[in-house]
Amino acid sequence: MRLFTLLFSLFVLGTLTAPAQSREKIVLTGGPALRFMEHGKGEVSHDVYWFNFVDASVVWLKKIKSESKPDELVTWLIYRPAYQSRSNEMGLNLIAQLQDKAKQLGVNLLFFDNTDQLINYFNRGLDRSKVKIASFDYFGHSNKACFLFDYSNTIDTMSIAFLHVNDLKRIHSNIFASDAVCKSWGCHSGELYSKQWKDHFDIAMIGAIGKTDFSHGALPVLSNSDGKWSQ
Amino acid sequence: MRPFFFCVLLFIAGLFSFSPLPAETDTYVPPVGEAPPVAPPLKKGSPLDHLANDPKMEALPVGYKEGRTSDPIYYIAHRGIDDMGGQGWGWVKKNGESWGSAKWIALQETPGTAVAPFRKLTKRDGDANWEFKFWGSYASYKAYDPRLDELLPVFVLQGYEVIGPENPLNNKIGSPDRSNHRRSGASSREGRPILTDPGVD
Repeated sequence: MRLFTLLFSLFVLGTLTAPAQSREKIVLTGGPALRFMEHGKGEVSHDVYWFNFVDASVVWLKKIKSESKPDELVTWLIYRPAYQSRSNEMGLNLIAQLQDKAKQLGVNLLFFDNTDQLINYFNRGLDRSKVKIASFDYFGHSNKACFLFDYSNTIDTMSIAFLHVNDLKRIHSNIFASDAVCKSWGCHSGELYSKQWKDHFDIAMIGAIGKTDFSHGALPVLSNSDGKWSQ
Repeated sequence: MRPFFFCVLLFIAGLFSFSPLPAETDTYVPPVGEAPPVAPPLKKGSPLDHLANDPKMEALPVGYKEGRTSDPIYYIAHRGIDDMGGQGWGWVKKNGESWGSAKWIALQETPGTAVAPFRKLTKRDGDANWEFKFWGSYASYKAYDPRLDELLPVFVLQGYEVIGPENPLNNKIGSPDRSNHRRSGASSREGRPILTDPGVD
C-alpha cells in the first residue's frame, strides 16, 4: 500500500508541477484572385466573392477556438498581398476587416507576404521544441502539387506565392505534435500533396480527391459526386 | 487488486491529460434567408470597369501604344499560345538580339498603366503570332503555372507598341525545364502535366 501511495503521489505531483504542454492550432488562408484577371471567364471565373476562403476559415476558427484549451494557441496566418490588392480593386479595406474578424474570434492573426516568411514561422515562429503544432488547416487555391496563396492576383491564372510539395523539405519535419490533425480544404490536395506531407512530416493530411467548392461562403464541400476526402 | 486499482487511476488521469481533437464536420448550412455573396458593382473608373465596358476589337491597330513607351531600351515580344494549356504569354528578347535568346515568359500586367494586348480583343488568343515592342523588366521572382506545374520567368509590363502579325517562331514553347525534359523530383512534373483546374470559388 505504501508503494502505491508513493507512486500515486508522484503521479499527481507530476501532473501538477510539470509545465502544461503548449500547442498551437494553425489555420492558413490564401488569397482571392482579382476580378481584373478573372473577369469574363464565365463558369471558371474564380473568387467572385472576395472572402470565400476567409468565411470558411472563420467557421473553422470558431470551432477550434471554442474547443481549445487555455494552453493551446490558435493562430490565423493570412497571405496579405492578395487581400491588399483586392482591397485596392474594390475600394474597401479588407485588411481592416480581417483584423476585426480575428479580434472578434480572439485568435492570433499573423499576415505573411511571401512563402519564406511562412516557412520561417513554421520553423521558428515559436520555440518548436516546446510548442508543437496540434492542428493545421489550409483554405485557399491549390492543385495536387501546390498550395497557391496567390492565384490570378498578380499574374493572370498563375501564382507568385505558393508552397509546392518540393518546398516541404524546407520546413522542419518535427514541428507537429504526434497526434496532430492536418487538412487541406483546397482542390486536389489528396491526389499528391497529402502523400508528400505524410512522407515529410510523418503526419497524415486529409485532402480532396477532385475539386472543392467554397461558394457557400462557409466550409467547402466536395464539388463532384465522385470526389472524396483522402489522406 | 492493487495493480488493477492503479491501472484504473492511470486511465482516469490519462483522460484528463490527453485531448483528442474533435471530429470535424464537412458541411455548413448558411443562415436561412441569407443571400449568397456576390461581387460588388464595378467601380466607375477602375481598370475593370474600363475593360468591361470598352468595345473589343478583332485586331489591334499597328502602331498602337499603351503605357510607358519613351525609353529607348525595349524588348521585342512574340505572342505564343501553349497548346498544352499552359498560361505563358509568349517569347521576349532584348531588341537587337536573336530569337534564340528569347525567353518564354509569364506576363505581369500593370493595371492602370499597361495590360496585355489581348485585353482589347474579342478573343484572348486573337494576337497569336503578333509582335510587339515591350517596355518593362524581369521580376526577381518566378511564376508558377498550376496547369502545367512549371515555373516561368516573369516580365513586368510597363508599356507596349504593336508591331503587327509575324510568322510563327520555331522556338520551343514552355519553360526551359519542359524544353530540356528535366525532371524536377516532384512526380507531378514528370512528364505528366496536371491539367486540372486548380481553383475554386
